[in-house]
Amino acid sequence: MIGFLHPWALAGLAAAAVPVLLHLLARREPPTVVFPAVRYLITTTREHQRRLKLQHLLLLLFRTLLIIALVLAAAGPTLPRSGVAGHAPSALVLVVDNSPSSGAVVSGTARLAQLQAAARRVLARATPDDALWLVTADGLPRRGDRQTLLDQVGALSVSSRRLDLGAALGVAGEVLAAESRPGEIALLTDLQATAVSPADLRVPLVVGRPDEPPPANVGIGRLETGPQPWGADGGRLTVSLVGDSGGGTPVTARLGTRPARQALAHVGAAAVLGIPGVPTGWWNADAELDADELRIDDRRMGVVRVAPVARVDWDSASRYVAAACEVLEANRRIGRGREVTFGRVAAGSSIVQPPEDGAAIGALNRALAARGAAWHYGAPVLEPAMTDSGPLIGRVRVLRRYQLQPAESGRTGVLATAGGAPWLVRTGNIVLLGSRLDPAWTDLPVSAGFMPFMDALVNRLARGEVSLADGAPGDAVPLPDQVSEVRQGGRDWRVEGGGTFRPAEPGAYYLVAGEDTVGAITANIDPRESRLAPASDAQARRLWRGARLVPLADAGDATFSSAARGDLRGPLLWAALLLGLAEMALASLWRREPG
Amino acid sequence: MNRPVSSPARSRLDLLDPFEVSKLGGLEVVTEGVVEGFLSGLHRSPRRGFSVEFAEHRMYQPGDELRYVDWKILGRNDRLYVKQFEEETNLRAMVVCDASRSMAWSGDPETRLSKLAYAQRLIAALSLILLRQRDATGLITFDDDVRTILPPRARLSHWRQLLGTLSALEAGQGTAAEPALRRVVNQLRRRGLVVFVSDLLLDRDLALKALRFLRHRGHQVLVLHLMDPAEVALGGPAEARFEDPETRAAVILRPRDWAGAYRDTVRTVVHEWHLACRRHGIRYHRVTTDTPYGIVLREALAPSPRAA
Repeated sequence: MIGFLHPWALAGLAAAAVPVLLHLLARREPPTVVFPAVRYLITTTREHQRRLKLQHLLLLLFRTLLIIALVLAAAGPTLPRSGVAGHAPSALVLVVDNSPSSGAVVSGTARLAQLQAAARRVLARATPDDALWLVTADGLPRRGDRQTLLDQVGALSVSSRRLDLGAALGVAGEVLAAESRPGEIALLTDLQATAVSPADLRVPLVVGRPDEPPPANVGIGRLETGPQPWGADGGRLTVSLVGDSGGGTPVTARLGTRPARQALAHVGAAAVLGIPGVPTGWWNADAELDADELRIDDRRMGVVRVAPVARVDWDSASRYVAAACEVLEANRRIGRGREVTFGRVAAGSSIVQPPEDGAAIGALNRALAARGAAWHYGAPVLEPAMTDSGPLIGRVRVLRRYQLQPAESGRTGVLATAGGAPWLVRTGNIVLLGSRLDPAWTDLPVSAGFMPFMDALVNRLARGEVSLADGAPGDAVPLPDQVSEVRQGGRDWRVEGGGTFRPAEPGAYYLVAGEDTVGAITANIDPRESRLAPASDAQARRLWRGARLVPLADAGDATFSSAARGDLRGPLLWAALLLGLAEMALASLWRREPG
Repeated sequence: MNRPVSSPARSRLDLLDPFEVSKLGGLEVVTEGVVEGFLSGLHRSPRRGFSVEFAEHRMYQPGDELRYVDWKILGRNDRLYVKQFEEETNLRAMVVCDASRSMAWSGDPETRLSKLAYAQRLIAALSLILLRQRDATGLITFDDDVRTILPPRARLSHWRQLLGTLSALEAGQGTAAEPALRRVVNQLRRRGLVVFVSDLLLDRDLALKALRFLRHRGHQVLVLHLMDPAEVALGGPAEARFEDPETRAAVILRPRDWAGAYRDTVRTVVHEWHLACRRHGIRYHRVTTDTPYGIVLREALAPSPRAA
């Protein structure tokens, strides 16, 4: 199938009609000249008429073909050909999978170095007429000439971001969709089974993957710090391993600068390490494994909030609230006191439920207004709705609720929503619930998430703290409304509350509101990166129809040849030259012989 | 040679360009073959003539009888002259002039005479030469029919009549040379000279047949083929419809493309005329209208090597 690099140039084929039009226009009645010796002219033309008619037609043909050849050459036609030494100008997206798994060392060489070498071989075959893009683990296509991309490939390092290969191929396909040149994707990857996903391919795909099997690997898949905050008597760190090794692996965990604790862990089983009490504050927690062939997943970060448990004054008339608080008290997650008042508006931190009696809502709103609350209760809503899933609360049914309305324009302090409307908000040190914590109002009190919700509500939300969030490097993590700054070690970023933050590297990032630390984000590599087992070629072909899988060493040769197309511009230009010469020869012959 | 031709509008045939006329001095019409006249003299005659009255001297020509040589002039100037007598003329010449529409054409009317105007001047000059050497000269003009017939006379005053006829000559429509040429026979009872002035854009076979007939009757025949330079070298606009003024036949072509082939055709036509005339003992001269007619007459009337 003939393709064209610049199909818009084919519009110039209309110019092929010019010689024909000129030929037709030239047939107009010319001016009459009186000439007595017309008989000589008739004699002259009679002898040459047939030859001249043929020459006329040949000239017309040559000129038309000349224009067609030039226009086609300008359109850059290409023809599929196998085994061609060069290739037609192509558009190539080179995807280099420098995700964390590419940091694995195989036979003394980092996998990434193998990928880089293969990428250089691919780029070495590129010509200045090719359009080139490079996609790495950040998923962004970068366009550049060969040298620019070679420099970028040379500067690649192991990224802490996971690369979904199907998504990367989708990005590459979108890039090529806008390109008129024949497109091709070269994917250089360790072909982790956990990274492959389906992709709708419309262009040829060459997958360069290593021949040798990956090393056995064990990484820390999860580091759980348990319910927050920790009390003065310490807490527990739970470490989960992922990977291919079935043997026991020593795990070291520490909290801040405290002495490390060790345990023997196995893949698929969690190791729990008790941590003794530490002073109140925010603590970095980390767990580490002994070094193996993939270092990047051998350490995982966490954040622990250590604070005294909340002293809560709860309303025993609210049956489910009272029951939950008693359980929390029994488990020493709360104590009795007046630090947090649950059920009504009090002088300190208050958690407010709407009253059972609708007539009391006015008095409640007046009390809120007296405390300077920016939110108040509005009209009752009897239509059932679902809470919108979030870090604080999952999806539970809400049967009855009151509208929560901000006193001023805008809405800040929304902690959870139901049916898209605010359902749990904080204003100052007052937390407002849209529904009573009663099964007649919501299913939450009878759901499994009720106790963690109550724990977070009284220990963190009522104190103005937000939940701890986890994310992978590069992921957008939503920020609470009041956060104005994000800090990590000596670095800090000014942020806008309610927006998102993308941690670039693994680590603990603290969320600051004013002078107070109100939460933290822990960024760790995706645990799927620890599973180095590659997908089979059959699996890859099933997911990526038409993909050509080759060893990394052969990726350079395979890349352009899989979509190699003979460039027809050269032959067309030669044809145009020959046609031009033939036209000139014929025209001069005509003038020399008959005229 | 490069002297510009007088404007056709201002020229009168009896006021020939003095420059051109001066070139006619010393020109003589000498027939190659035998012509019949009343007197012996310039032209070889089958009969003996006799002198009556001295008229003038002329250059000695080989074949002249020595008894007419003027020995006194020979003694004074060392040149051979023979005495001519008033009734020595023994040549009767008929000029047949083509006055068809094609003859009225000029490729460049601003600077060049039409073929007919050129023919008028050429015939005037030729007749002047003939009459000055006492040869009787007549004129027939024709287009698609015979228009005028002026019988041959030898008196110099006859030239005025000739000029009058030529001046009144206007181009007709077609070309029918054969009747005109055949009418010559009526005017030249004895063998004489026939000068046929035409652009030869006519029925070649018929014309040649008539010319051969004249030769058969013993006349010397001279064909002056007039051509405008624009008929020799094709020119004109980039593309044009060329139309014959007589037949209205037309052809559309690009002159630039056809110039060479046309030149070859003209060359062939002239060559064929030349061959056909030579085959039958007819003298043929192609004349372009940008050539001074003095030169034309000098070349056309010069004795051929065979005659010399």
